[in-house]
Order: sequence, then C-alpha cells, then structure tokens
Amino acid sequence: MNIAGIGIISTRGRGIDSLDIALRQGWIAPSQTKSHSNDQNVFYPAYRVKKETINDITILKKIRRADKFSKMAVMAARDAVIDSGIQINHKESEVGIILATAFGPHVTTFRFLDDIIDYGDGSVSPTTFSHSVHNAAASYISSLLNIRGPTVTITQFASPIHQSLILAKAWLTEKRCKYVLIGCVDVCGNVMEYICNQKLRIANDGKIRPFNFSASPSSVPGEGSVFFMTTLENCQNKYCEIIPAYITNCDTIEKSDINIIEADGMAGDETSYQNTAPVDVFAGGYSPIFGSMKIISAFHCTVSALMLKKQIRYACPVQDNPYDLNLITKTESAEIKQICCIRKNCANKTDIIKLIR
Amino acid sequence: MKIFITGIGGISAAGRNITEHLESFQLMRRNAGTVSLFDTFLPYPVFEVKSPLINKQKNEMRTLSLAMSALKEALHDAGLQKDFSGIKTGVCLGTSVASQLNDIDFYRTYRNTGAADMAAVDRFLKGNLAEAVARSIKASGPSITVVNACSSGADAIGVALSWLRNGVCDIAIAGGADELNRVPLCGFGALGILSKFLCSPFDRDRSGLNLGEGAGILILETEEFSRLRGKKSVLRLAGYGAAADAYHLTAPRPDGSGLESALRKSLADANITPQDVCFVNAHGTATHDNDKVEGIMLEKIFGQQIKFLSTKGYTGHTLGAAGGLEAAFTATALREGWIPASAGFVQQDENIPVRPITEQTQINGSFAVSTSLAFGGNNASIVISKDQGNQPEP
Repeated sequence: MNIAGIGIISTRGRGIDSLDIALRQGWIAPSQTKSHSNDQNVFYPAYRVKKETINDITILKKIRRADKFSKMAVMAARDAVIDSGIQINHKESEVGIILATAFGPHVTTFRFLDDIIDYGDGSVSPTTFSHSVHNAAASYISSLLNIRGPTVTITQFASPIHQSLILAKAWLTEKRCKYVLIGCVDVCGNVMEYICNQKLRIANDGKIRPFNFSASPSSVPGEGSVFFMTTLENCQNKYCEIIPAYITNCDTIEKSDINIIEADGMAGDETSYQNTAPVDVFAGGYSPIFGSMKIISAFHCTVSALMLKKQIRYACPVQDNPYDLNLITKTESAEIKQICCIRKNCANKTDIIKLIR
Repeated sequence: MKIFITGIGGISAAGRNITEHLESFQLMRRNAGTVSLFDTFLPYPVFEVKSPLINKQKNEMRTLSLAMSALKEALHDAGLQKDFSGIKTGVCLGTSVASQLNDIDFYRTYRNTGAADMAAVDRFLKGNLAEAVARSIKASGPSITVVNACSSGADAIGVALSWLRNGVCDIAIAGGADELNRVPLCGFGALGILSKFLCSPFDRDRSGLNLGEGAGILILETEEFSRLRGKKSVLRLAGYGAAADAYHLTAPRPDGSGLESALRKSLADANITPQDVCFVNAHGTATHDNDKVEGIMLEKIFGQQIKFLSTKGYTGHTLGAAGGLEAAFTATALREGWIPASAGFVQQDENIPVRPITEQTQINGSFAVSTSLAFGGNNASIVISKDQGNQPEP
C-alpha cells in the first residue's frame, strides 16, 4: 500500500512543509495552560495546535460550526488529497475514509455536559450534541470533499493507526475503493490535561525523552491530525510503501536503516524499548516535536515518509541518550530504503509499521 | 470465500437472549417505559434492559455488560469456549455511548472544584468495547471499536467480513452494544426526533424514535476454520456495502443516493440481484426523514412487493447496537423461516410507496438484507444468506 499524499496539523503548523521546517528547527517548548483547579499557580504543559493554524478562509464557511477536532481532521484530509495530486472521480465513490481517534471530540462532549448542568435536560444545544458524536469529523470530510465511499470512524487506545492500515489494505484488496484516506486525530482540552496529570507523569520542563526507557516515563499531552491518501496503485508522486505488522518478540524485527522509537510516556513502562535499537541501526524519535498522543504513530509515519521521500535523516529533537544508542544527531542527506516505526502499545503488543522507499 | 455465521447472541428490552426476543416478536410485546436508569424529567418512553445480570459490577461500563451478555450467548450458540488463545481472532464492535467520557458526576465535580475522583475515567479507559472484549477472551487478532453512530454495529460486521476474507483473522466477533444514557437522550430530544409515544416506524403519523439499549453479536468464521473445528452452519454473511451521503451532519440525503449505493454494493458483494432477497430488516427509526428516504429507496430497488419490517418497535433505537442486533434478528429470521410484524405501523404514509408487514409472515428464500443509516450520513447494508443447496457463489 502506497502513501500518495499527506496532510498534517500539529503544534508546529499545517502541511508537510511546516513539518520539514519543524524537524530542522528542533525542539521548542510547549505552551503552558492554566489549570482549572482552585490553585491558581498550577500550569500544565501541552503541545496545542494554534488557532491560526486552522483558520483557513477558503473552507471555513463550509465548516463554520465545526469544533477544533473536526477542523483539524478536515484540513489534514483535504491537504492529503491535494498533496497526492489525485483527481477523484466523485461519481464512482472510489475513495473510502478511515478516521481513528483515541478520545474523540471530548471538548465538545464536555461543552454539552455544561449545557445539561447549566440549563437542564430539555434546554441543550442540538448543534453541540451533533458535534460531540465521534463521526462528525468524518462526516465533514466526506461532505467537504464530496467523498461517497465507505466511511468508518474508529476509537482505539491501542494501535489506532495500525488497525486503520490493516483495514485500509483489506478494503483496497477487495476493491471496495481505489483510494483510502486514513487519518488520526485527537484534541487536547482542560479536562484531558487534568486527567493526564492524574494518570501520567508530566514532564514539567515540557520535554519528552524518548530514549530514557524509563519504567515511569514523562509525557506532555499533544494534539493534532494526520491524514494519508493511500492506494495500491504505484503513483508517480508517492512518498513510500507502508506495511503494518504485530510483533511479539523484538528480536524478530527486520533490520532497517532507521528505527523510530515511538516512546512518548503515554503507554506506561518503556524499559522494553531497550532492545529495539541495535547499535548498527540509526535510532530516531520525534514525539518531543508533537507531544504525547495515543495516535503518535501517525506522526512518526509522516516523519518517516518525509525522510524516505527527501532522503534526509532528521536530527532527533531531544537527544538525551543514557543507553548510548546510535541516535540521529544531525540533519543530513542519506540513502534511506526502509524505516521501522516501533510502538509498545498499552495492550502489551509491539506495533511495527514498516515504510519502504 | 464463504464466511459462516456460527453463533448469534442478543439482548435488548425485548429479551435477554434470542429465544426471548422471538417470544416478544410473536406476542408483539413492547417493553417500553419511563427512564429508570438516571434522573431526568424528559417525558420520552425508552426501552431499557431489565436484567439483574447487567451492571452487577460497578467498575464496568453498562455497555460492556450488555456486550458480554450477548457474547456469552453467541459463544454458546457457536459451541466455543471463552478463551481464544492461539486462535487468530478479531473483535470488531460498534458503539456510541461507550466511546465517550461523558460521566456527568465526574465532570460536575471537576468543574466545581478543579479536581475529581478518577473512578469514572478508569471505567472509561478500561471500557473501550472491542479492546475490553478482546482482553476478556484473550483474542490475539485485530480489534476495532467502530463509532459510526447508528450504523456502528452494521459497519463493525462489515469490517469483520473484510478481515476474514483477507486472512487477517480466522474467526471474528462482530456486532454492537450501547447503553441508554442521559447524553443521547438529551441530545436526540434537542434535535426534536424523540417521540412522546411508542414509536411507529413507517407509519403515516410517526412522530420520532424511542431510545433503547442492548447488544447484538455474531460469531463469524471462515469456511475452513469452521470445517476444521467441525462446526456446521447454514447461515452466511454474504455481503456488505457502505456509502457516505456527503450531505449533512444529521439529516439523510433526501434523494437516498447514499443508501442506494450501499444497498447495491452489498448485493453485488453477495453476487445476487434484488429479486433474490426475501425480506429486508429496515433501519426504520420512525423519524420522518429516515423512514421516508428508506421507504422510497426500498421500493426503487426491490419493488412494491418487498417484505420489510423494522424491529425498533420492539427494541427502541439502540444506536451503536442497532446494526448488530438487527443483523442477529435477520439471521435468526432466515433460520426460523418467519419475520415478525413491524410493530407500531397502522396507516400507510402517502409519501412512502411501500408498507411494512403487519403480521407475522412466513418467508421462503435464501437471502435477507439489513440496512443501517446514521448521523454523519453513513449508510450500511448487510446481506445474510441461508444455504439451501444451489445458489450463486460470491
């Protein structure tokens, strides 16, 4: 399965070019959000997407009621289609959509709960309710891009992008559609940041350290959206081939030019990442650019696809290296044929996503 | 590749298992009442599951309890144990409520004090439907929780079909589950599509839907896997089709072209024609727009004589569970050879060119269709078949 186009919205901006710039710039400290608690001096770090990133006047009229979750999804999906250069035949319903999220539009859900608490069961907003439904974002994408193929929104805590890739491959093989827009989106909010603070160890300096392999790692919540336009066709402008797999034993991971270690503090104990970075393979890890997310694999796949297309190794944004790994320490041209993205998920499985030039 | 349905399980207000559902269907029993699961002054009747076995454990989401109940029945029907270690097993389940962290008490406390007990969050984090079910049966294959609103259950079955056909797994647990919850009750009420009376799908005087809750689960197996374990079944999941309206967040596309596309794709997927279909278990929510669009499209594709019904008169609209439950009812009806009356229907709507069946009806055919339409413009159609010797082979 080939990645023909990519759209990305992250704390560092919109589009694949903004990602290239961010990767060259390296780590930038996240914003600090004031806690909702009674203690006015509590601040939470979070890699939030800036308002101006999703203020696109060319499409804003059509999605003016959409919340941040849907806007991030719509813009990344649209950018992926444009980036692919593929002209969609809308009559043939030849494009499918698979949108994965861990937590869905929870900010809007809480806004709806505000309605119930403040105004009572009979005086709530129907618009807020309809946007609190998980598949609102996919609905906006299909409406805006006039995509009329199969559309599935999935919610997963373990392996959302991995599961989406497996399903997309099945759809393409069965010829249910010619292209599949695969995307991931998650959003931050005050409540979720509070929950992260309660459930996870937050890095107060805002720095995720992917190579510390700690038993109690630090994280910093992030948000954003990534979409891939995928196809079995060997299109001219493609980034790379993408293949998902489960691995139970890290010794069996096929040797690549680069292993991307997806540790971001979201899935607990990271000690078992130690054997995923052999000395003769470059190790990379880019979660400090984006923040910690259940959907972080989608962002790492995007970095990998960009490296394969541009034949550039991007320096790791945070280079703390207590285990003396063969880290990518500077950005430079390189011959790269294959990258493995490795994620220990919360179900104690190792997800491997292999990207091949 | 043939995909067999080897186990069926279902729970709703109409019954705690498939046998009880058949009894309710025969007696046209409609177990609706006022909301008892939470406090609300909203006057809409609902279809609640009354079973002491549901929600016994306070640390488990009610949706998960419903799913586990239907799963237990389906596994028993399939002759399977609750341990799938070493078997390539996929779990694909649809839901809506269980995907949201919408605990009002948790949120109210957080809002008032800036802090709250994490029990509701823990319940939510352990309650991702497919992941929780996969953990409970030690399933090692793919697992996906589909959140396509009201077509979630049907789409989950469609996803499982794709997995099985592509060798991603050998056996799949598929369907949907959803609990009655204050958030959708308030939301659907605000949208003006809840009825103050018992719902009447496709009726001229229909005034909206009644919410319900439940779970419907199918055990699906490749032909080779079921043969190897010596399980025979006459029921097959023959086809699935899905299409997006690309129209509106809450309303169906008025020309029904999304539903038409889903239906035609499912028939093509099953390699059959509309004439091969002996009945349709329609989505039939009893809202004005849904029933009109669906009725017109059923007539367009299947003709005036099509036998169809909506089972939502017995179960209420169970949202993410609906597609799973209705697939379970469709498969059971094919196996039993009869379909129930479409509860609540009295007068034909002049804007709908067909009328559902009004009494228990014998059916004699090999293929049946179950349709699902959803918020967001999702349309899904499933074809289920009963093997009767010579028939088209997908």
